[in-house]
Amino acid sequence: MIYSSELIKGTLKTIVLKLLNDNKKMYGYEITQRVKEMTGEKIQITEGALYPTLHALEQEGLLTTQVEYMGKRVRKYYSLSPEGKAKTKERVKEFASFMDTMAFLLDIKPKIA
Amino acid sequence: MYCITEQQIDYILDDIRRNGIDMEDLQLNLLDHICCIIEQELEENDDFERFYHKTVQQFYKHELREIEEETINLLTFKNYYAMKKAMYISGAISVGAFVIGSLFKIMFWPGVAAMLIFGILVFSLVFLPLLFVLKTRELTAVRDKLILGLGTIAGILYCLSALWLLMRWSGKHEIWLATLAFTFFVFLPAYFFTGIRKPETRVNTIVSTIIIIGVIGIQFTLTALRRPESERMPVNTDEKVRTNPGNIGNATSNK
Repeated sequence: MIYSSELIKGTLKTIVLKLLNDNKKMYGYEITQRVKEMTGEKIQITEGALYPTLHALEQEGLLTTQVEYMGKRVRKYYSLSPEGKAKTKERVKEFASFMDTMAFLLDIKPKIA
Repeated sequence: MYCITEQQIDYILDDIRRNGIDMEDLQLNLLDHICCIIEQELEENDDFERFYHKTVQQFYKHELREIEEETINLLTFKNYYAMKKAMYISGAISVGAFVIGSLFKIMFWPGVAAMLIFGILVFSLVFLPLLFVLKTRELTAVRDKLILGLGTIAGILYCLSALWLLMRWSGKHEIWLATLAFTFFVFLPAYFFTGIRKPETRVNTIVSTIIIIGVIGIQFTLTALRRPESERMPVNTDEKVRTNPGNIGNATSNK
């Protein structure tokens, strides 16, 4: 099952921040591939959603960038700024609490392994 | 792994630009992303152009420029909700100040000027510009955005001329005439001739234009461009009461 884009949209910033928190620096394609791998292709981030989000996070001062020239290509690496690190903790905490609330609201029973 | 050539890179970059991606940063991001996909997934003997077009089609729903539009939306309107809230609050505050100020005015209570100045300035310089910014987001045609902008300027000028006339500040006639000239010769023609072209807005445009002309026309007849020697054409009720001999006693006792 691939999750719908509506579900991904609200969590994309948190996903990107957490990935960058764990991986120091990453470029766009790498982020999409890592998410695909980690989720067994259940979450597929589209380019149309990823790049606007990366630009917005950069403008908010949560990301810093570094460019690498590869002939005619330029690769832009993103990493977390100190504010971005603080924001990541806040976002992950908020999402964990949101999941608890949703589990209660939708009456989802936890699976026992 | 497929080895991408410089000509192919130029081809991709040209195509991205041709399809409406103007932000250089975004062009380079997409270029590198597409190159990565091609290098990872294209076989040596496969058709490059066909694979490229198939890949890039997965990036959007209708057209590639959607990515740039979404980026601009996120960058420009990240404070969209805060702006909307500020618009409601400034609207409520200004209308409140205006209504209470008007009540104080007819009762001759102190603090009228401060309240009216505050109310009108917040309405014209905060509420109307915010309304314009938020409304333009819903419009797609440049012409419609331009008319909304002209309407906002006319609205701001109208509020400021009302303030100037009310407070009897110098230059009140000039600002009122500028408002009339701008409304009649710039805003109304643009609004009217754009609106009547579309069948769905024709009736609304004609009715709104007549109402605007009517309201401003009536107000124009109440305006004294040159102050008569006897001051018999008061501009506001304050003056009307003061110049009426029967009310002099009351007005003085209320002060």
